[in-house]
Amino acid sequence: MNRNREREELIRIPIQMNLQYRFPAGVHYERFFRELKEIGRIMGVRCPECERVLVPPRPVCGECFTRTGEWVEVGPKGTVVAHTSIYFPFIDGSTGKARPIPYGAGLIQLDGAYSAINHILEEGDPDKLHIGMRVEAVLKEEREGNIGDILYFKTIEE
Amino acid sequence: MGKRVAIIGTGQTNHCSSREDVNEMELVYEAASAALKDAEMTIAEIDAVVLANMELFEGRALPDMWCGEGGGAFMKHSFKISTGGTSGTSGAISGYYHAASGLFDRVMVVGFEKHSDGNTSAGMALTDPFWDRHIAAAAIGNFALSVSEYMVDRGVTEEQSAKVAVKARRNACNNPHAHLQMPDLTIKDVLESPMLAYPVHRLEMCPQSDGACAIIFASEEIAKKRCPRPAWVRAAVTRHDHIYLGEVKNRLSTMRSLREAARVAYETVGIKEPLKEFDVAEIYDPLTYAEIAWYEALGFCENGEGAGMIDDGITLMDGELPVNPSGGVISTNPVGASGTIRVAEAALQIHGRGGKRQIPDVNLALATGYGVYCWSDVVILSSRPD
Repeated sequence: MNRNREREELIRIPIQMNLQYRFPAGVHYERFFRELKEIGRIMGVRCPECERVLVPPRPVCGECFTRTGEWVEVGPKGTVVAHTSIYFPFIDGSTGKARPIPYGAGLIQLDGAYSAINHILEEGDPDKLHIGMRVEAVLKEEREGNIGDILYFKTIEE
Repeated sequence: MGKRVAIIGTGQTNHCSSREDVNEMELVYEAASAALKDAEMTIAEIDAVVLANMELFEGRALPDMWCGEGGGAFMKHSFKISTGGTSGTSGAISGYYHAASGLFDRVMVVGFEKHSDGNTSAGMALTDPFWDRHIAAAAIGNFALSVSEYMVDRGVTEEQSAKVAVKARRNACNNPHAHLQMPDLTIKDVLESPMLAYPVHRLEMCPQSDGACAIIFASEEIAKKRCPRPAWVRAAVTRHDHIYLGEVKNRLSTMRSLREAARVAYETVGIKEPLKEFDVAEIYDPLTYAEIAWYEALGFCENGEGAGMIDDGITLMDGELPVNPSGGVISTNPVGASGTIRVAEAALQIHGRGGKRQIPDVNLALATGYGVYCWSDVVILSSRPD
């Protein structure tokens, strides 16, 4: 029956919601975000077995299933290992709003870290982005203790 | 080793961007009914039901409750699988395990997704709240990052990528269920479609579809009795990689979850030359560049030769190893069903029920799944039980 009905005639149930969530950071993110907020430095944890420095930090190394131990400062400089320029207004999951486009995004391997992290790049022009370019974290002045305290990574000459 | 199990029936809905003529349970019922009809079975004969869906996309919790009856799960043993893009293949693998355990003889798997009900971008944004949520740019942005590495690492060009899109949408024209059927699509059209995340254009990416797909697995005795040409499950392997995208180094080139799953599956079946031994492959291609990378990861060619395979037409319908006669995920993508469709299409080829997309004389078929940042499933089906 519905197949014969004009699309405009179909009954739809529209729903809009404003939902609130609150996620306790836990032991490792607590320290990571506190150091970022209060000292302005980026920290990783080293696996005692494979010696990889993991950012973001976590209690266990997935490859070794070993408890991570030593905290290590990484960055704030790093190297772009992958990049893109975003032309589609994706939703920022922390605000629920679309982020203004275009903007650059990259995987940045912070100096001293095994992991690369995904974050926003100051440079959004695809012709000016390349793998291997050096960047540095730019932090907020008034930091809140979340990943948004790193505003973006700016291009640096060395 | 589990007991011998075969796929004896499959069923799909018609897939499109918006199935507004039905709700989700009706969609599930369509696929389940089609599979039962294909297997010439009644729901009373089914003793377990596995559902696969990514409920974040519709924003409706407990789809197994709201849609389970549509899949025939009432008063039966039933599970739901939600593992991102691999939901559909992992659901099928779970269905196989149920039957291979010997505890169930006839198991139905239904994968489904109704993207148009909700907001896929919002579903993707409901990722890890501490880190990813603020930064991640859905599947497209994440793939674009990996493509930038892959293009440099392997020297793949955007023309080669566009050829994959053209192959997929033309193959889809032979599949009455496919979403994007584009018989006249050209490389130029693909590269002139809007840029989503550099260097990925819209027509290089999979769509969002509404659709469902069901598969019926049966124990050996029943399969032999009820199906003239059962598709025997010879291997089913799943592998998960690290949490964060940045820890999967050079994802498309390395793709270790797919390489490892394939290695184990090939060893189980005794496959040494996949390009020669497989008659058809239905691989989970979320975007064009990934399909080229998966050729390499699945051992169809050496590293760096993936793009050459599409240039040489090896994976076209009349090539040495046709890849995705259905049109693949690039043509049809109801996420929870996308993996189930891969397994169903591989089975369909062995059953010889592929219609216009049938490859002649299929005895060995490969199906794969891809999910989250880097999870992989590999399923191998054969016309022979051993």
